[in-house]
Amino acid sequence: MISHPKDKITTPQTVVFITSYNIAIGILTLPRVTVEEADSPDVWITVILGAVIAFISGIIIVKLSQQFVEKTFYQYSQDIVGNLVGKTLSILFIIYFLTLSALEIRVLAEVTGFYLLENTPGWAMIMPMMWAGIYLISGGINPLVRLLEIIFPFTVIIFMLVLFMSYNLFEINNLRPVLGLGVTPALKAIKTTALSYTCFESLLFLVAFMKHPAKAVKVVVIATIIPLVFYLLTVVMVIGVFSIDGVVTRVWPTIDLITSYELRGLIFERFDSLLLAVWVMQIFATFIITYFAGALGFAQVFNKNISLSIYIVLPVVYIIAMVPKDLNDIFTLGDWIGNSAIFLFGTVPLLLLIITKLKGGKVNAKI
Amino acid sequence: MQKYKIMRGVRRFIIFFSILFMSGCWSSVEVEERGFGVGVAFDIAEASENKESTDSLKKDLLTVTYQLINPNPTSQDNGEAVSGRKPYNNISQTGDSIHQIVRELARENEHPVFMPHLKVLVVSEEILKTLSLDEILDFHFRDNEVRLSTLAFVSSGKAYETLRTNQNDTFPAFRLLDISGNEYRTTKLLTPVPLAKLIGKMHSGSSFLLQNVVSSNGEVKFSGAAVIDGKTNKCLGFLNEEELEGYTWFTGEGEGGVIRTLDKETDQIVIFEVDEMESSITSTIDGAQIAFDVSIKSEGMLSESWIDSEEAIDNEFIKRIEKEIEETVAQLVTGVLEKTQQEYEVDVMGFGEHLRINHPKVWEEMKDDWDQTFSDVPITSNVTVKIVDYGSRIVK
Repeated sequence: MISHPKDKITTPQTVVFITSYNIAIGILTLPRVTVEEADSPDVWITVILGAVIAFISGIIIVKLSQQFVEKTFYQYSQDIVGNLVGKTLSILFIIYFLTLSALEIRVLAEVTGFYLLENTPGWAMIMPMMWAGIYLISGGINPLVRLLEIIFPFTVIIFMLVLFMSYNLFEINNLRPVLGLGVTPALKAIKTTALSYTCFESLLFLVAFMKHPAKAVKVVVIATIIPLVFYLLTVVMVIGVFSIDGVVTRVWPTIDLITSYELRGLIFERFDSLLLAVWVMQIFATFIITYFAGALGFAQVFNKNISLSIYIVLPVVYIIAMVPKDLNDIFTLGDWIGNSAIFLFGTVPLLLLIITKLKGGKVNAKI
Repeated sequence: MQKYKIMRGVRRFIIFFSILFMSGCWSSVEVEERGFGVGVAFDIAEASENKESTDSLKKDLLTVTYQLINPNPTSQDNGEAVSGRKPYNNISQTGDSIHQIVRELARENEHPVFMPHLKVLVVSEEILKTLSLDEILDFHFRDNEVRLSTLAFVSSGKAYETLRTNQNDTFPAFRLLDISGNEYRTTKLLTPVPLAKLIGKMHSGSSFLLQNVVSSNGEVKFSGAAVIDGKTNKCLGFLNEEELEGYTWFTGEGEGGVIRTLDKETDQIVIFEVDEMESSITSTIDGAQIAFDVSIKSEGMLSESWIDSEEAIDNEFIKRIEKEIEETVAQLVTGVLEKTQQEYEVDVMGFGEHLRINHPKVWEEMKDDWDQTFSDVPITSNVTVKIVDYGSRIVK
C-alpha cells in the first residue's frame, strides 16, 4: 500500500525529516525547563548527555525496524507479539502521535496569538494550518519531505543568525562555574533534555520508506548531531544572556532572547519576527509529521485507505488541541506526552528487539 | 460533465470566500492610529487635576508617564507650520496598577499606547524607596508588547522630568538612549541595563547598580548610579559620579575615558586617557575568614599636560606621572569600597559573583546573608597604570 517506488525517500531526506520533527516547541522553552530542574548553569552538559541517550534509543529503533523490510511498526509489531498486543501497541502509538500533533498546533496558536495576532481566535489559526497540512500529506510522504527540504535551510540560517546576534549581551560568567557543585545538578535535568530529542520514534515507520534502509544508523548519527548543535547553542546563548536566575522567570526564553537586542543600522532592527517565522514553519513541520504518522498508523491498523484516514483523524486532533484550557494545561499535556514517550519509545522497541532476536530465524522466514 | 461543472463552481465559491475571510490581518491597526510609546516614567503619585475617577477601589499609588510620538508635529495651518509644537506627547495618569493606568489612558488619548517601540524606562528614586522594582515593572515583564531591549534608569528627581526637553526637535527618550551609548568616552557611565539583564539581577538576590539620571529644566545629565538592594529590589541610595568612576575602574568594565591627576611636584593638571583597563579579583579563604585582593591594570596615553613644557618627557617623568595616576585611581576605588561596605553594606562590585564562580561551595553557605558578611571583609587593591603614548606633541 505504501511501498510504491515513488514513495521512497533518500537518506539526506530522512535526516531532514527527523531533524525537522525534532526542532519544535522545545527550542523555545528548553533553557527554562532544564534550569528549573537542575538549578545550575551546567545544563548544557545535560543537553549533550540527553543526546547520547536519545542516540541509543534511536539505534535500538533502527535495529528493530531494519529486521522487517518495507514494513512499518504498525505492521511488524503484529508479527512479533501477535495480533492483539501488536494492535494495542499500534493504537497507543497512534494516540501518542495524534496528541503530539494536537499539542504542536495548539502551542503554535498560543505563541502566535501572544506575539503576533493578539485578537485572532485560536480556531482561526489552528484550522487553516490543519487544512494546509492535510492538503500537503494527502500527497503522501514525498511532498511532505520536499517541503521540509525547502524550509530546513532557512531555519538553520535564520536561527543561527538571530542567536549569534545576541553576542553583545552574552556574559560567560552566567555559565560559570562549570560543575561547581559536582555532577548531580547536571544529571537532574537529563530526562528533560533526553525528551527534547524525541524524534527517532519516526524511524519506526520511516525506515520502511527509505531507499537505503541499511543507512539508517548513519541517519541517526547525523540527526542527533544537528539538533544537538541547535539545542546547545540555544541553551548556552539564552543562559549566557539571562543568567539562571532570569531564565526561570520567562515562559518563552528563546523568543525573549531575540527581543533583548536591537541592531541599528541594518535593514532590520529587530529579528523576533524572523525567528517566529522559521519557528512557525518548524512547528508546522512537526505537526504534519506527527499527523502523518498518526494517520498512517490508523490506515494500516484498521486497513483503511490513507487518504480516508487523514480525514477521520482530523476532528480527533482538533478536539485534543482545543482541550487544554490554559497555558498550564498545555505544559501538563506536554509532560504527559513526554512521560509516555519514555515508555513507548524507550522501552517498547527494546523489548520488541529482544523478542525478535530470541525468535530469530522464525520471523525472518516470514518475510 | 454536469457534475464536474458543479464541482468547479463549488470550488470557486470556496476559494472566493476563503480569500474574503482569510486575507489580511485579523488584528490590524492602522499605523497612524498607533500611539507609539518610546519612553515611560514611574513616579510617586501626584494629585491629578480635574481627572476625577469614579473608581472607588483605585488608590493613588503611582503616576506613570508615557511618552508618545506625535504623529504629525508640523501640521500645517494655512500653509504655515505651527511653531512650538513638540514631536512628542507626554501623557500621565495616576493609579495603583500599571496596566489599569495604561487602559485609563485609552479614555483620554485618541491613540492608545503601543509599546513595542519602548526604548527607555525611568523609575524615580522616591518611588523606588517605597515600592520594589519587581512590583513596578511586573506589567512590563509580562506584556507581550514590551521588548526586553528597553533600557532601565533611575532618576534622583522626578522621573517624568527626564522625559522633557526645551528643544522641539529631539525626543527625550531617544536622548537618554543615545547618551547611554557614550560609554566609550567616559568612565562615569554605567553599562546600560536592558530589561533582559534586569530580570536576572532582580532575582539573583545580589545587589546591583542602575544608571542615575538627573534633570532640570528639560536638560538631563547622567550622574552617578542608584544602589538597588538585591533582597528587596528597593533603592538604598546613590553612588556619586566619582564613586561610579571608582566602580568602573574597579570592575574594569570601562571602555574609555580619562583620569585627571594633579602632579604634586608642579601642582599642574595631567590627564590620562584610558585605552585598556582590566581588573581581576583574587580571594583567600581561611576557615570562615575571607579576604579579597583586586588588581587593576590599565594602559593608555598622556593626553593633556599643563606641566611647564621645560620638563622633558623622559622615563623618569613618565614613571612619576604613572605613580600619581595610580594613586588617583586607588583613591577612587577606595572611595567606592568604603561607601558600599560601610554606608550601604551591600556588595555591588561582584565579589559574590567571584565567590559563586570560584568557590561555589563556600558561596552556597554564604549567599543568604552575603551582604552582611561582605561589609566586614578586608579588601586590598593595587593599581598598575602604564603610559604607552603621549600623543603627537613632543617637548624638548
